[in-house]
Amino acid sequence: MTSVGRNVPHDSARGHVSGESIYIDDMPPARGELVVDFVWSPVAHGRIRAIDLDAARRIDGVVALLTHRDLHHNKFGPIIQDELLLAEDVVTFIGQPIVVIAAESRAALRAAKLSIAVDIETLEPVFTIDEAKRRKQFIGSTMHIVRGDVESAFAGAKHILEGQFTNGGQDHFYLEGQAAIAVPGEFDQVAVHSSTQNPSEVQHVIAHLLGLQINQVTVVTKRMGGGFGGKECQATHPAAIAALVAHKTKRPARLVYNKDDDMRVTGGRHPFQNDWKVAFDDDGAITALFVDFYSDGGAFADLSTSVLGRALTHAENAYYIPNAEIHGTVCRTNHAPNTAFRGFGGPQGVINIENILECIAVALGKDALDVRIRNCYGIGERNTTPYGQVVANNTLPRLFREITASSDYRARRKAVDEFNAQSPTRLRGLACSAVKFGISFNTKFLNQANALVNVYLDGSVQVSTGATEMGQGVNTKIRQLVADELGLDVAQVILMPTSTEKNNNTSATAASSAADLNGSAAVDACRKIRARMCGVAADYFARTAGLEPSSEHIVFSDGEIFDDRAPQQRVPFAALAKMCHLERVSLGERGFYATKGLDWDADRGCGTPFLYFTMGCAVSEVEIDRFTGMMKVLRSDLLMDIGKSINPGIDRGQITGAFVQGMGWLTTEELRYAPDGELLSHSPTTYKIPNIQDLPPVFHVSTIDNDTNTVNIRGSKAVGEPPLLLGISVWLAVKNALAYESHGAIPQLRAPATGEEILRLLTEYKAARVEVASAAAS
Amino acid sequence: MRNHIRFLVNGREHRVAGAAAFATLANYLRYDAAATGTKIVCEEGDCGACTVLIRRGEADFVPVNSCILSLIQLDGTSIVTVEGLGMNAVQQSMMACHGAQCGYCTPGFVVAMSALFETCDKVDEKQVRDGLTGNLCRCTGYEPILKAALTAAPPTQKLRDLYPQTIDDDEPVRVESFFAPTTQADAVAFKRDNAGCTIVQGATDVGVWINKRSFAAPAMLSLGKIRELDELRDDGDAVVVGANVTLSKFEAFIKDKIPELYGILNIFGSPQIKNAGTLAGNIANGSPIGDTLPYLFVAGAELELAGTGGTRTVAIGDYYLGYKKFDLRPDEIIARVRVPVVADTLKLYKVSRRKDLDISAFTAAIRLRTTDGHINAATIAYGGVAPTVVRLPKTEAFLAGKAISLGTFEEAGRIARSEVKPISDVRGGADYRAQLAENILPKFYYEVLA
Repeated sequence: MTSVGRNVPHDSARGHVSGESIYIDDMPPARGELVVDFVWSPVAHGRIRAIDLDAARRIDGVVALLTHRDLHHNKFGPIIQDELLLAEDVVTFIGQPIVVIAAESRAALRAAKLSIAVDIETLEPVFTIDEAKRRKQFIGSTMHIVRGDVESAFAGAKHILEGQFTNGGQDHFYLEGQAAIAVPGEFDQVAVHSSTQNPSEVQHVIAHLLGLQINQVTVVTKRMGGGFGGKECQATHPAAIAALVAHKTKRPARLVYNKDDDMRVTGGRHPFQNDWKVAFDDDGAITALFVDFYSDGGAFADLSTSVLGRALTHAENAYYIPNAEIHGTVCRTNHAPNTAFRGFGGPQGVINIENILECIAVALGKDALDVRIRNCYGIGERNTTPYGQVVANNTLPRLFREITASSDYRARRKAVDEFNAQSPTRLRGLACSAVKFGISFNTKFLNQANALVNVYLDGSVQVSTGATEMGQGVNTKIRQLVADELGLDVAQVILMPTSTEKNNNTSATAASSAADLNGSAAVDACRKIRARMCGVAADYFARTAGLEPSSEHIVFSDGEIFDDRAPQQRVPFAALAKMCHLERVSLGERGFYATKGLDWDADRGCGTPFLYFTMGCAVSEVEIDRFTGMMKVLRSDLLMDIGKSINPGIDRGQITGAFVQGMGWLTTEELRYAPDGELLSHSPTTYKIPNIQDLPPVFHVSTIDNDTNTVNIRGSKAVGEPPLLLGISVWLAVKNALAYESHGAIPQLRAPATGEEILRLLTEYKAARVEVASAAAS
Repeated sequence: MRNHIRFLVNGREHRVAGAAAFATLANYLRYDAAATGTKIVCEEGDCGACTVLIRRGEADFVPVNSCILSLIQLDGTSIVTVEGLGMNAVQQSMMACHGAQCGYCTPGFVVAMSALFETCDKVDEKQVRDGLTGNLCRCTGYEPILKAALTAAPPTQKLRDLYPQTIDDDEPVRVESFFAPTTQADAVAFKRDNAGCTIVQGATDVGVWINKRSFAAPAMLSLGKIRELDELRDDGDAVVVGANVTLSKFEAFIKDKIPELYGILNIFGSPQIKNAGTLAGNIANGSPIGDTLPYLFVAGAELELAGTGGTRTVAIGDYYLGYKKFDLRPDEIIARVRVPVVADTLKLYKVSRRKDLDISAFTAAIRLRTTDGHINAATIAYGGVAPTVVRLPKTEAFLAGKAISLGTFEEAGRIARSEVKPISDVRGGADYRAQLAENILPKFYYEVLA
């Protein structure tokens, strides 16, 4: 029986529920191991005058105090090499590491941290996009996507709206903080256990910073306690710091961030502030769109330019825009560097256009769903993106049609109208949003993967790939694919820790594509092994059943191998493996995969950056307390096209988890800063991710049948990021609710829509109402 | 007098003496007992990853946060960690329902979920949501976890039967600067003799100070072994609550007597916090946003303060002298709280960024005595708008004698707003709080009187 398409439990499920699963800080300390921490900048921008380490040196148990001078190189970065591991003369954000401390005990570590005085002359910081724009303080260059004749379209427009949209940042809030253990080896080699989405990047950066060859560094990732993009680049810092200590002291070194420190010193999702202008007809059809995106990149480039690139390629989302002019610029500020976060700029691009559609609906007095359907990408026409890619296998019209019916949207709209007209205490809103998420790394060379498959003499199989497991179930999916290729039960296949020793030069587990890329590479390896095993089997059946040897007739099924011309005679997989070994036929193989057909010209903003699109729609209804602004979600319906699922249970978990995470970003998750730039909301007491009570009481999640995505492994579609964008429907529902109170004005709702933000607008509308009433009275 | 702490972990006895007894249970489990299934994330009792089960004497096992619980608080308890669950029905269901993704929150969830099945064989959605309010998951969106709880088979064995052992806790314990006496007299004498002594009951706040502010008290006192302070009883038109009564026990006791307060306690905090924290602790901590305080203010609660010279009674409004300043002598403890049952029209409010398990930005209690559409007397207390919870004398005076109408309450709201001077902080801006101070009165009108 095939295991692909079945609801196989997560390969770590038993370990997770029993507490046996091992994370970095669960590993027992090695002999002589040091604990590591660092002193960071307490100011957002300043010049270091002096660092006094004398008191720390005298503390018993302090083994090493290291600064940038102890590094071979100090500069690195995934795209632009502007980042410093340890501050030199200038500090540019609160939390920037300055001095590394290694000690034999946590008490000594704490005492040393408190004893180190860094004298810093404060310089003027930049905390806002406006201020960065004023100073022209940017990272990289402005990007563009342009199609058609925007100027003429605006000149001949029936209606024009313009505005500015802002969204806040978001902390990843992975439960396991950043963590690494570095163990020194012979001849300056170092082995690092890292909670990272990108072992190869950790390896490359450590080699670079310590002045080693890449082959002297091995990085192993068993699993992460959550990643969400936060461990794509920023897991590198603790790993590099631990490796520096191991390299200098020749002792194992462990660095684990606690939650407060983690939230303060790492970046998150990029805040955006976008200027937009749209032209549209009486029926809401968009004729031209102008968007100028500005993101807050923080102090260093990190992945900001790439994140912005994805915002640009998602600026139109599910909607056909005949004339478009889209620009984007990353601002350099004195916040912690912002980085990858599930969606990677896609959510910021999409909420911008979804907001615009909601604005058009208010301006025309139409239901926003109708405006969306009017603008939705067509099939065979109106189906080219502003950057020139054809939206193939478009299921968006079907998704809109089906969710309108399944969510009972039209009847509920009437009910909301009636409710709002009669309730003096509460206000409801209803909204539908869509997602069309491009799958593939925008950067072409990253779309490759390799895998190592080893078959053992008892027929058991080990698989190693560059994919890292952070809970998303990539290992389970690859396990199913491998088991299927070799005709085995999944119990025969184990996914091994990701290691740069077995899989070199790998891409990050990111862009929702780890199962696509690494699964395909593993399948490639399996097919090569299987071809060789077929040869041995064909000879065997030729000998024993008197058949002409023919690999084409060999079948692997349910742990057995047979020739389909004599199916009653079967050999267990293990026996064939042993046979192969005796015949000196290799039972190990390395597979490789590179996505075909990608072509993206970033400079010109055109091409085919994506292999395919994952699509979906959502309808959410919210209720607001008119007096406090407190909001609750009453119901959400999600409908997605994820192709033919490899594991429906795991994919469903990705959909529900991503949706709630997206909803959190836009509702309760607010990063609040002190005037000096210090993050105030740096723990779950003050930073509120959704809890179980926030799961909508009515929550319908389903997928459509679609077997047309033949370009990807087994007809599946990537699912990690796209459903996060469906959380936007909740924010839109809040905006819709406010539109019932705004006397025809477009609600200027910021994201996140906290109770405070909602009450701000309700109070404004009430004041306007009182003003109108008193004017009428006089 | 014993000089060490004795407790059971998964049925095995542990003894800890000296400075080691001041470690948190979570750190002890992970770094000393090599039981790394229990995870540490927030170290402030807000995420539930460190959840373990605790049982005192013959009581049921209940979930608590082991990251803010010190070993000194554990004398005489039995603890069950994820390693001790024995692959029960909850764990099986979590596997089948994809309830675990990254797995880091999972031990806390399966422990908290197992606690739900100690007192029943089947749970409904409300029980699950309430029971898991104190556990954060960032991966699943909770739906698979909810489903796992709802579809779990009945437990084959209750944990109280799997771990029937108990351990005596009727002996006083002294470990370095920590003292757990068995009599009130010993407690107040110790407090008198040790300036700056901190009382640790649930330590749901003190535990956070220790973890995050390097808090170190010169002496620590637990009242937990003083049996007379376990008192929880009806006293005519009031409930008498001893210092050892946890918020969970108090919540269950007042469910039908004071439903409004029960409703606030329901969203006050997680089961883990309510199983550790006490009503007396909530009062003693004196936060201006303590969720029980507005009710206690408008109900006219009284505190029984015990000292070396005897006891005295202080009205709750007189107890708070300023931000975290109290009418409490160095030798005194809050021994009991007398909580009157309010029969008048009453409504309590809590406004926070997230509805459940969030520290409030604003709280309010509004109590009215009315006859025939007129207000005889109004009592109003607000939290989150001043250094302490405050009464609103001008607003109360305005309302007295007025006819009930929307206009009356809108005007009262404007007066209330002028009476308070809130500040801006991480939980909300000053304008927001001022607006809430105004809006809550018309809201009250619509919800209760209209």
